[in-house]
Amino acid sequence: MVDDQKKALRFYTEVLGFVKKREIPMGEHAWLTVVSAEEQDGVELVLEPMGFAPARVFQKELYDAGIPWTAFQVGDIAAAYERLKGLGVVFKMAPTSMGPTTLAVLDDTCGNNIQIYQVS
Amino acid sequence: MTFYEQQVRQLRDAVYPRGELSRQIVAAKQYIDQHFAEELDLNGIARRALISKFHFLRLFKLHYGVTPHRYLTEVRLLEARRLLLKGMPVTEVCVAVGFEGVTSFKGLFKRYWGATPASWKKSNFRDRAAGKV
Repeated sequence: MVDDQKKALRFYTEVLGFVKKREIPMGEHAWLTVVSAEEQDGVELVLEPMGFAPARVFQKELYDAGIPWTAFQVGDIAAAYERLKGLGVVFKMAPTSMGPTTLAVLDDTCGNNIQIYQVS
Repeated sequence: MTFYEQQVRQLRDAVYPRGELSRQIVAAKQYIDQHFAEELDLNGIARRALISKFHFLRLFKLHYGVTPHRYLTEVRLLEARRLLLKGMPVTEVCVAVGFEGVTSFKGLFKRYWGATPASWKKSNFRDRAAGKV
């Protein structure tokens, strides 16, 4: 869930590198989805507008605890971390190893923590 | 440090062996990734990792959720799908990804993907040609 769809679209496409798939007007908001640039017929990520007040409480609690809303796999987390830091992205957790996986958590500027991870 | 990061660090310390042992398991998995098409001896991979066979099996499953043998099979079957989509004949795919016999290859393929290599290729190759995939 995002607090501003226009801002979210900019962040998820221009910063994270997703590609816009659908933007269907739905009154005040839109059915807005993005997809991986490498798999544009794959799973679509809905940038869903925050329109249900109780969900805002849940989202804020997750955010304050640093818990990611979702996670995306990357091929090279060190490179992704450096690239995103260079674009001004704020990380709540720098790359941290956990067995065969390395995890990092970033702020998507729309009310969510997002995890990126690499499995070695 | 956030609550989540604390949990990640606690879980890591509780679940995974420290340092070198984890690196050896990762190196073994990467060896499988790079050599899956060859005749691989999983006992030999355990020896390369300087770990006893049973300890290796247990640690591999702890790290990746499957046994090394199952992981190798999955890597081979994923590559088989990729080659079938490129139009390679089934028997050539079988050899190219490291299976010894076509019968066992067909059986495993069907068990994993729900269709024989030939029928899977037929439907997906057609879809790809039609621009659906």
